[in-house]
Amino acid sequence: MIMGIRIVIMDIHMIMVIVMVVITMMIIMTTLMVTMIMPLLMFMTKIAITIMIMHMGIHTLTNMIEGNALPLLVWLSPSFPVGAFAYSHALEWAVEAGDISDMESCKAWIADVIEFGSGKTDAILLTQSWYAAMKGDFMSLQELSELAIALQPSSERHLEAVTQGNAFIAASLAAWPSDRLNILKQKVDSDIVYPIAVGVAAAGFNIPLQNTVESFLLCFVANLVSSVIRLGPLGQTNGQKTIASLMPLVQNMANKVVHSKLSDIGNSAFRSDIASLQHETQYTRLFRS
Amino acid sequence: MMAAVSIFSERPRADAILPGMIRASGHIRCRFTANPRRTEASELYEAGGYRMKFPKGLNCEGVIINTGGGMAGGDALNVDISLDSHAKAVVSTQSAEKIYRAQNEASSASIQLSLAEQSQLAWLPQETLLYSGAKLHRCFRADMASNAILSLFEGVIFGRGAMGEQITEGSFRDSWRIRRGARLVFADEIALDGHMADRLNRPAIGAGARAVATFLYIAPDAERRLDEARAALETSACECGASAWNGMLIARFVAVDPDALRQSATRFLNQFRAVPVPRVWQC
Repeated sequence: MIMGIRIVIMDIHMIMVIVMVVITMMIIMTTLMVTMIMPLLMFMTKIAITIMIMHMGIHTLTNMIEGNALPLLVWLSPSFPVGAFAYSHALEWAVEAGDISDMESCKAWIADVIEFGSGKTDAILLTQSWYAAMKGDFMSLQELSELAIALQPSSERHLEAVTQGNAFIAASLAAWPSDRLNILKQKVDSDIVYPIAVGVAAAGFNIPLQNTVESFLLCFVANLVSSVIRLGPLGQTNGQKTIASLMPLVQNMANKVVHSKLSDIGNSAFRSDIASLQHETQYTRLFRS
Repeated sequence: MMAAVSIFSERPRADAILPGMIRASGHIRCRFTANPRRTEASELYEAGGYRMKFPKGLNCEGVIINTGGGMAGGDALNVDISLDSHAKAVVSTQSAEKIYRAQNEASSASIQLSLAEQSQLAWLPQETLLYSGAKLHRCFRADMASNAILSLFEGVIFGRGAMGEQITEGSFRDSWRIRRGARLVFADEIALDGHMADRLNRPAIGAGARAVATFLYIAPDAERRLDEARAALETSACECGASAWNGMLIARFVAVDPDALRQSATRFLNQFRAVPVPRVWQC
């Protein structure tokens, strides 16, 4: 009988001890949760939400633009922060040497660049990068990027192509992000030339290739004419007349280029390339190329 | 031309006016190896009317000779030059390579240069001369170690102006790729098709030019030598300019008169390389 009571007492004692230990452990665990695990969990949730919002942002933007060529007006305008105003594509030397002195000579020089020189080459590079980005073929984009850099004929033209390309990528990633542009930046860790940057950005929003190539070439023409205006030989009105008179050539080139292959690249604007070499030692210069 | 005909032509072409078996298919494969005293050609394979000779001199110099005198439409040429480590060689051609009027197919030339560690190659062929109606498709590839040194000069003359010939229809394609330490450092894709004279008369193309040339120098000290290159171009009688970036130096020439281009280029090469151009250039 006495033994029985003792056992009961001991059992009650043990149960009380166990309950105490469990309560203490729970208190410790809760403290830990509150002080360490909870902030961690909250931090992780915050990141997850941020990522979700960013993706929603990209996708909202993508859905809004989807196939609309409107952003090209901004991307290729002189106000887009790539510094296009600083490059004359060696036209500064052509003016200095007397090759460009009026509307006719300006039109003829720029027409050659578009039809037989870097205008054609860049339009083909843009086309190829647009197709590669559409297909998600980022291996081809990397090779294309390497080739585009190797094709630059001089130090200043190399600068012109990669400075504008890198600036275009940076501005677009910040304000006009798309999945394709993000992947391009991740896969190609070297410099990216301007036409490839534009091609991939356009593909990122499914902007039609024809619109992109036409706009790219027309804005290239407008930028070159603008540099000639600043150098003196052309007034504002004749500058606009020059751009308008080159419209048919731009459209004709764009129509051809959208069906081109990489092997269609072929340059013969020898004096345009030599002008960029000569520009490097020109005595007074407004432009970086 | 008949002397260069090979009955073992590798690539008979069904659509040609002449059957492929009587097209010339030239080959030159040469390997240069550095011996303790000097560099020598350790392997040489010649076929299809092309020969390579090594005039006696202080340096190892190879001269490619086309015994056929030129290339007609459909003719093919393959040149493969490789330099073992520390080898130093100069390769030139005995005369300007003449590309005759093509009836149908283009003439094709493929040039492959490989430069091993610390080797030095000067590729200085004489100009390529395109007759009116000529079609030439050329492919130029070079693979070099990052500490090798490559100097090359390539010139093209459009039409035999001295004979009063005006170049009309034709096609010239020239595709260049130069890899240095597995990285593509230089590429060029030249295409001049259609009415050559009309095209060359346009202002940003040639403004009447009938000759163009490119000099490339890829070496560890290339960028540091830009001022030297510009100084060597100062007395040039034709339009030219130089630039240097990414470990290479380039000089380009364009001239109305091919003789003026040759004179300017010779003076430039002599001064910049500090050795006279190969003797065959002066013949």
